[in-house]
Amino acid sequence: MAGGVLALGVYALVRAGSIVEPTTAAGAVGPRTMPYLVGALLVVTGGTTLVQILRGRRGEAEGGEDVDLAGGTDWLTAGLLAVCVAVHAFLIDPLGWPVAAAVLFGGAAIVLGARPVWRAVVIGIALALLVQAIFAGVLDVSLPPGPIFEGVSILGG
Amino acid sequence: MDNLGYLMDGFATAAHPQYLAFAFLGVLLGTAVGVLPGIGPAMTVALLLPITYSLNPTAALITFAGIYYGGMYGGSTTSILLNTPGESSSMITALEGNKMAKRGKGAAALATAAIGSFVAGTIATALLTFLAPISADLAVKMGAVEKVSLMVLAFMTVGALLGSSVSRGLSALAVGMFIGLMGVDDLSGQMRFTFGLPVLTDGVDVVVVAVALFAVGEALYVGALMRRGPQEVIPVPEGWRTWMTKDDFRRSWRPWLRGTIIGFPFGTIPAGGAEIPTFLSYATEQRLAKGTAKAEFGHGAIEGVAGPEAANNASAAGVLVPLLTLGIPTSATAAMMLVALNRYNISPGPLLFDDHPDLVWALLASLYIGNFLLLVLNLPLVGLWVKVLQIPRPYLYSGILVFAGLGSFAVHFSRDDVLLLLVLGIIGFFMRRYGYPVAPLVVGLILGPVFENQARTALTISQGDFTTFVRSPFAVVVYALLLLMLVGSVVLKRRERALEARVAADRPLEPTG
Repeated sequence: MAGGVLALGVYALVRAGSIVEPTTAAGAVGPRTMPYLVGALLVVTGGTTLVQILRGRRGEAEGGEDVDLAGGTDWLTAGLLAVCVAVHAFLIDPLGWPVAAAVLFGGAAIVLGARPVWRAVVIGIALALLVQAIFAGVLDVSLPPGPIFEGVSILGG
Repeated sequence: MDNLGYLMDGFATAAHPQYLAFAFLGVLLGTAVGVLPGIGPAMTVALLLPITYSLNPTAALITFAGIYYGGMYGGSTTSILLNTPGESSSMITALEGNKMAKRGKGAAALATAAIGSFVAGTIATALLTFLAPISADLAVKMGAVEKVSLMVLAFMTVGALLGSSVSRGLSALAVGMFIGLMGVDDLSGQMRFTFGLPVLTDGVDVVVVAVALFAVGEALYVGALMRRGPQEVIPVPEGWRTWMTKDDFRRSWRPWLRGTIIGFPFGTIPAGGAEIPTFLSYATEQRLAKGTAKAEFGHGAIEGVAGPEAANNASAAGVLVPLLTLGIPTSATAAMMLVALNRYNISPGPLLFDDHPDLVWALLASLYIGNFLLLVLNLPLVGLWVKVLQIPRPYLYSGILVFAGLGSFAVHFSRDDVLLLLVLGIIGFFMRRYGYPVAPLVVGLILGPVFENQARTALTISQGDFTTFVRSPFAVVVYALLLLMLVGSVVLKRRERALEARVAADRPLEPTG
């Protein structure tokens, strides 16, 4: 993480040089100054953190009501949740928001350990339709209903 | 024109049945979502942003005022009834509150928190009502140089003073500023840091970043580190008439007032968050405790709940002073309020009181109303909040993901925003995993561009002379204050750490498995 910050800083400093400075700029300071400043801050803070880590001062993971720091990190669950969000994003356009949302909810709930599986699926579908009805139907937020619910007026179709 | 008259007008607006309903809705939603574990007030506002897309500004702001106070309040219920501390601002409440609950005095702890929040919230809102216009008058006279100095103060306090690691806090701040730079530069029209991606041309929407960091990051993080096995919610005896005994009242009222006095000023200066005032209030009550109270400290003393909880709410109101009059958010939640205001093309700042007086005063009035509603709602509804606490975690976090997706999709109705949400959510996950605080990033993202504009304006006026930043006496005072605060915080932090270590040693490890 600290390495990433450092790398981003170096990138910022390098790229800042290639931002076109208009010669007729109204101000004395053009669009490059701030990027240089931010890049420098990134490099300094990233570097400092890196040195601290190498000296053995690691960051403390954040606590929370539902977090158990003693249990170790379950990367698989986090990865699968991320996959659920990605699938959701790609389903919105072809299948509509309700279907995509039901998939996200059901998928995420199952990944997180909801049992029985059918209940997670049913709740997902119900929630997706309810949210679609409230936001698209009542509040006029234009969520695409998708081919299945096209023309259903309470779902904004 | 006297402000009292304006305030009365505000009350007239806010008391309109329609707006009253929105205040009610906001308070209810805010408390419900605030009670939910893992969701702090900032995330509450972030997740509920889409709801306001189709409301008029006054209705939306009133709803948000309710969510803001409700979210603050909801957190204390969680920390008292659950066996673990939540976000840092309610951690102090958990110290004594949870021990009281274990001793069967949970109802008294909840009651003193609720009434203390009401007392502190009302006094602090009154102070806000009279201070804000004065502060706005002062702010009108400020030039770019003065504003730059205040923003430096906000950056340093939010970045360096909050959280346990200075370098990590400042890293998060810098990353936020970097994200703020992406897209077209306002002054020159040049592209910056778009990585050649068309999505980034217009920059990254603050809503997407905030929802990603607060909601998606949290959901992924909890997914990876979920507590296995059931959470123990401490039962609360029924019958709210017997909640607080006379003795509890006698012991609570002074801490309420002291907490308010400590909390409000900390909210108003750009020093960010409720962490420091709640800790100070706790330390004060502990030192002042005598007799039984002294013996009870560490085992569930009511003063240790009443004081910090009042300080927490008073600082929440205080935070609104710099937010409304200067446009400077000093906590993650205030940053989200700013985002909500920007949605309606309202930029908080010195001119807000002149440009939108009706709106500001309706907002202030609805804060009083919201506060009152909270008091009325929370005591009788505690049974409901306990049920909310027991929502199965898989469904809770799946729901958070769905609403996060909805919130970011609704920004431009584009799939790419949802993908951006995921990428930033993964960054949020790693930040939590490796101890980087999230709030500085959001503040850097929001204030970074404003800071750049003001700094460039100042430099244009001075024709490129950088010493202009220390020529103004006001700015010099601000920088001196900043130095003082940095020194003071080192001392405070040492003491806080000692306290935390002591508390951690007291808390028995919970069974896992």
